[in-house]
Amino acid sequence: MRTRVFVAVVAAAALGVVAATASASGQSHQANKLTVWLQVDAQSGWPDAVAAANAQFAKDHPGYTVDVQYQNWGDHLQKFDATLAGGTTPDVIEMGNTEMTKYMAAGAFSDLTSLKSTFDNSGNWLKGLAASGAFGGHLYGVPYYAGSRVVTYRTDVFAKAGIKKLPTSLGQFTSDVAKLAAKNKSVKGFSPVYFAGTDWYFAMAFVYDYGGSIARTQGGKWYGNLDSPQSVAGLTAWKNFFNAASKASKTSDENHPAPYDVYSQGGAGAIIGPGWFSCCVGTKYKATTAQFVMPSHTPGQAMPGFLGGSDLAVPQGGNTALGADWIKDFTSTAGEKILQSKGNIPNATSLLGTSVNERAAARSWFVPAAKHWVDVENGNILRNMLATILQGKLTVKQAAANASSNIALVLNGA
Amino acid sequence: MRSPLPDGMSLAAEASGPRRRRHLTWGRVARGSVPYGLILPVLLIVGAILAYPLYSLVRLAFQRYGLSELIAHKGISVGTKNFSSILHDQVFWHVLLRTVVFTIANVGLTMVLGTLVALLLVRLSTWVRVVLTSGLILVWSVPVVVAVQVWYWMTNYQNGVLNFTLTKLGLGDFFHHDWYGTTFSQLGIVTAMIVWGALPFVVVTVYAALSQVPRELVEAAEIDGAGSVRVFRDVTVPILTPVLLILTSLSIIWDFGVFTQPYLLIGQAHTGPSNELMGTYLFEEGYLKTDFGRGAAISLVMLVVVAILSVFYVRKMVRMGDAA
Repeated sequence: MRTRVFVAVVAAAALGVVAATASASGQSHQANKLTVWLQVDAQSGWPDAVAAANAQFAKDHPGYTVDVQYQNWGDHLQKFDATLAGGTTPDVIEMGNTEMTKYMAAGAFSDLTSLKSTFDNSGNWLKGLAASGAFGGHLYGVPYYAGSRVVTYRTDVFAKAGIKKLPTSLGQFTSDVAKLAAKNKSVKGFSPVYFAGTDWYFAMAFVYDYGGSIARTQGGKWYGNLDSPQSVAGLTAWKNFFNAASKASKTSDENHPAPYDVYSQGGAGAIIGPGWFSCCVGTKYKATTAQFVMPSHTPGQAMPGFLGGSDLAVPQGGNTALGADWIKDFTSTAGEKILQSKGNIPNATSLLGTSVNERAAARSWFVPAAKHWVDVENGNILRNMLATILQGKLTVKQAAANASSNIALVLNGA
Repeated sequence: MRSPLPDGMSLAAEASGPRRRRHLTWGRVARGSVPYGLILPVLLIVGAILAYPLYSLVRLAFQRYGLSELIAHKGISVGTKNFSSILHDQVFWHVLLRTVVFTIANVGLTMVLGTLVALLLVRLSTWVRVVLTSGLILVWSVPVVVAVQVWYWMTNYQNGVLNFTLTKLGLGDFFHHDWYGTTFSQLGIVTAMIVWGALPFVVVTVYAALSQVPRELVEAAEIDGAGSVRVFRDVTVPILTPVLLILTSLSIIWDFGVFTQPYLLIGQAHTGPSNELMGTYLFEEGYLKTDFGRGAAISLVMLVVVAILSVFYVRKMVRMGDAA
C-alpha cells in the first residue's frame, strides 16, 4: 500500500514538473533573433534572394540571426491568429494581397508610413500591389512581388492543329479551340485549354473584360455587381469558353489537380495559370512549351488578369525597426531582380521588363478592397456560383444574382 | 515466573493499547487517503487539460471575440448574442439536421458491418483470420491525413482508380465521373471513408466480446432447435449488449464531431453551407471568419446535442451497471 502511495505522489510531482517546463518553453521573442514568416514559394523558388537578404541583415546588425520559417497558404492565417493570441507573433510576415485588408483594419500590423522612403523604389511601387498594403492612408504592407496569369501552351499541338498565329481575340481563340478539339479527338478526355470549373481567378477575368466587376462601393456601403448586365455577359462568355475548351470537372478547383499535372500527362493543349507554371510541364514537353497573354474579347487587347501578389508586414508585437530593416534588404532592387529572374513580376514599375508575365500584368483586375473580402473567398461564394452555372442548376443570371446578394451581405459585415 | 507473565503481557497490552490505537488511526487515515492520492494525478490532468479550457470556452461563448479582440487580448461581453445569432441562422439548422442524419448513417453502417465482420471472423480458418485481422490493423494504423490522400487519389476525377475499375467491370462509363459533384455524393464518399476507418476498432472489440459467449449456451440453444439467427438474437446479442452500447455511444460522439475526413476530402475550396457538417461548420464560422465567440457558442451547442444523442445509450449502460 505504501509503495502505491509513493508512486502516486511521484507521479503527481512528475506531472507538476512537466507542467512547469511546458509553460517555460512557451517563451516569446528571443533576444538577438528575428523571426520571419515567408511562404514556401520563396523556399522552392528563390532561396538565394532570402539568403542574400539575411546576409545583408547580419552585416548591418552583428550578433543577430534571422530565423526564416516557411508557411503554407492553406493554414498560415490560422497559425498567425494563434500567435496573435499568444503574443508570439513573428517580426515579419508575408501576406497574400487579398488577405491584407482584414488584418490592417483590425490593427494587426505596425504602421510603416514614416519608413516608406527608406524602401527601394517606393516611389514606383506597382499601383495594385501598393494599394493592398495601405489602409486609411497609412502604410502597413510593403509590396513584395506579383504574378499574373497567362496561357501556357504546347507549340507542337497548336502547330499540328494548323494554328499558325497566336490568337489575338477571344473569338479567334475559340475557333482555335475547335481546331484543337477536332485534331485531338482520339485522346480521351483531352482539353484544348484546361482550366478548373471553379477557378474564379480566371472566370472573373471574363467579368472584368466585359466591363463588369465583383462588387462596387457607394457611400461606404458595398453592393454586389455580378448581376449587372456586363458581369452576366462576362460569365456567359466564360461558360461558353469552358464548355468548348475544358474537360475539367465542373466542381474542381485550380489546385486539385494542378493544371500542369494534366498538361504534363498529355491531357491538354494549353493551361491557364500563373507564369511560373512553365516550371512543371514535364521534361517531355519542356522544349515545346511557350506562353502567351490571354486575349480579350476586344480584338488586339489582353484580357485583364488577376494580379496576385504578396506584401510584407511587421505584426504588432514584432520588432518594427529591425523587421522593417529586413524587409528593406529583401525588397531591395537587387533582391527584386532575383525574383524577376525566376519569372515573377517585381514590385515596381521602374523594374518591369517585357516577359509574357509582365506584359499580362499591364491589364489586370483586383478583388474589392473591403475589410471582409477574405470571408467571401473563404466562404467559396464565387466558386459555388461557378459550379452552379456549369452544372446547369441555375441560369447565369439567377446564379449571379444569388452570389451578388451574398457578397453584399458579407462585405457589409453581416 | 509463569504467572506474572500474562499479567505483564496484559500490562504491556494495556500500556500499548492507546498507542496502538493511535497508530491504527493513522494507518486508517493513510489507507483512506490512498484512493484519493491515486486519483489525484488524473484529477490534475483532467483539471489542466479540460476544466480550464472548458471554462474559457464558456466565457468565450458570451463574448464578441474577433480579430481586433484577439490582438487586444480582451473580449467584449455580449450576453447571449452569439447563441441567438446561431439559433436564428438557417444554415445552422440545415447543418445540424444534415449532421444528425449523417451520424445515424455512419454509426449504423459502422455497427452493422463491424458486427457482421466480427461474426465472420469467428467462422474463418486461422490463417484467413490472421490475414483479415492484419488488414484491419493496417487500416487502423494509417494516419487519417494519409488515408484521405489515398481516398482522394482513388476517387480522382481525372484518373482515379475507382472510375477506371468501375468502367472495366462494365458497370457503365465512369470516365471523368465526378464523385464530388453533388452533396450526396460528397458525403457518401466521406461516409465510406469514415466507416472504413472505424471498422477495425468495432470488429476487434466485438470479436473479443464474442469469445465471451459460452459455447454451452449456444449448443443448448441449438439442441432446443434454435436456428442461427435465433441463437444470435437471443443468446449472442444479450451477451454482446454492453460492448455494443459502448461502441455505439463512442461512435456517435466521434461521428457527430467529425472534421478531418470531410474537410480534407471535400476540400476547403468546396466546403460551404451546402455540404457542411457540424465540425466543418464550426471551423468555418469560428476560425476562417475569425469569430471565436460564435465558434465557442457553436461548440457548446454541439456538446449539448451530442449529450442528447447519446443519453439513451449512457442511461442503458448505467442501468446495466446497477443491475450487475
